[in-house]
Amino acid sequence: MGTVVTIDVYTTDATGGEDASRQLATARALLQRADAVFSTWQPHSPVSRLRRGEITCAQAPAEVSEVLEQCAVARELSGGWFDPWAMPGGIDPTGYVKGWAAQRALGAFRASGVCGAIVNAAGDIASFGDLGGGKLFRAGIADPFSPGRLAEVVYLSRAIATSGTYERGNHLIDPRSGRPAARVASASVTGPDLGLADALATAVAVAGETGLDLIEALDGYEALIIAFDGRRRWTENFPFAPHAALPLSPSVSGSGEVAPVG
Amino acid sequence: MRRTPIVITATFAGLAGVLAFHTTPAKLSLGALPGASGTVQPSAAASSGSSQRAQRAAGASSPPRSSPTAKAKPGATRTVVGPAVNYNFGVLSVSVTVSGNKITKVGIASLDDGGSQRSQFIDQQSIPILIQETLQAQSANIQGVSGASYTSAGFQQSLQAALHTLGFQ
Repeated sequence: MGTVVTIDVYTTDATGGEDASRQLATARALLQRADAVFSTWQPHSPVSRLRRGEITCAQAPAEVSEVLEQCAVARELSGGWFDPWAMPGGIDPTGYVKGWAAQRALGAFRASGVCGAIVNAAGDIASFGDLGGGKLFRAGIADPFSPGRLAEVVYLSRAIATSGTYERGNHLIDPRSGRPAARVASASVTGPDLGLADALATAVAVAGETGLDLIEALDGYEALIIAFDGRRRWTENFPFAPHAALPLSPSVSGSGEVAPVG
Repeated sequence: MRRTPIVITATFAGLAGVLAFHTTPAKLSLGALPGASGTVQPSAAASSGSSQRAQRAAGASSPPRSSPTAKAKPGATRTVVGPAVNYNFGVLSVSVTVSGNKITKVGIASLDDGGSQRSQFIDQQSIPILIQETLQAQSANIQGVSGASYTSAGFQQSLQAALHTLGFQ
């Protein structure tokens, strides 16, 4: 994966600290393992060998099959807009793996007495619990047009993933053409599982408004898109949070109904 | 509610990681953390009895240093330098500046890498992320940023390439 992961742990007592430290080691091992197995950059990783046809899925570590099964589910739920099998250069589950690995790492903290934890894998965030006392986590969504600024703030109940072209150029591939494509500047998806949210955010960024309809039909998942002209559209229950420096809701009022984007 | 971060930098396989640990009300004994050899600094907040702040780097290989202002009054600006950390390819230490209850600056305090391209990699890729995320999260009363606005164009590709070029396994 080659990315930066930050882990935040919230607790109300000191013993949580000892637990959290042990669990950090577990989380780190899980991330290391995911990197070793799924890296498309390390030529000898199982996934690299799978891509070259040197091994079969059955010969790869068990989690490869697990991830590919989940990728197939994500492909179906996304109407084919997320498709690791349609990537140039061979099967590439990277769009699912980063979120999946962060979600697994988060699981390491679940049994402890902490009131909440957040794993942020370079902008894709998995969490459970809260700040303590029922105070919800809040997450910012990066402004695709202005580095270092936030476009929106959301309540973070479980996971959020954001995909767009602004961050690393044209890395989004349209599975229907096999060519780089994105129809919005930024697409964010919230939901219970970061692996799926990650895949769906990629799908919506490529599909544009069509993708929004797909998410609306999915239980537990919500989406926000920011068009190239800056206008927003979102699903009905997207968890906007108020923020002093931001309007309470996006620039145009109303729930999920903003002028169609060009 | 006062939350106080403990910033731990660690080298993951192909990953750089930061653990922030927040307690309410804080009574954390860092000495209890495996490998936590030091840098527990009573913070401005701790001196008022409500919390404790510390900063360390994982895999510590040398004692930490701290500025003479470690016992400053509440609200004062302090800079703490973490212990030098052995990476696979060198040694670095991280500095954190806190003002009152906020981290205002995160940076590399020292870097001994034998003069290779890794200092460039660390400066240009890893550290801006940590700095931006730390500052932005505090300034907006949020616990994270989705979408990685803090990264430069081509971040992930170049980071991956750099990590593997550098033998960051």
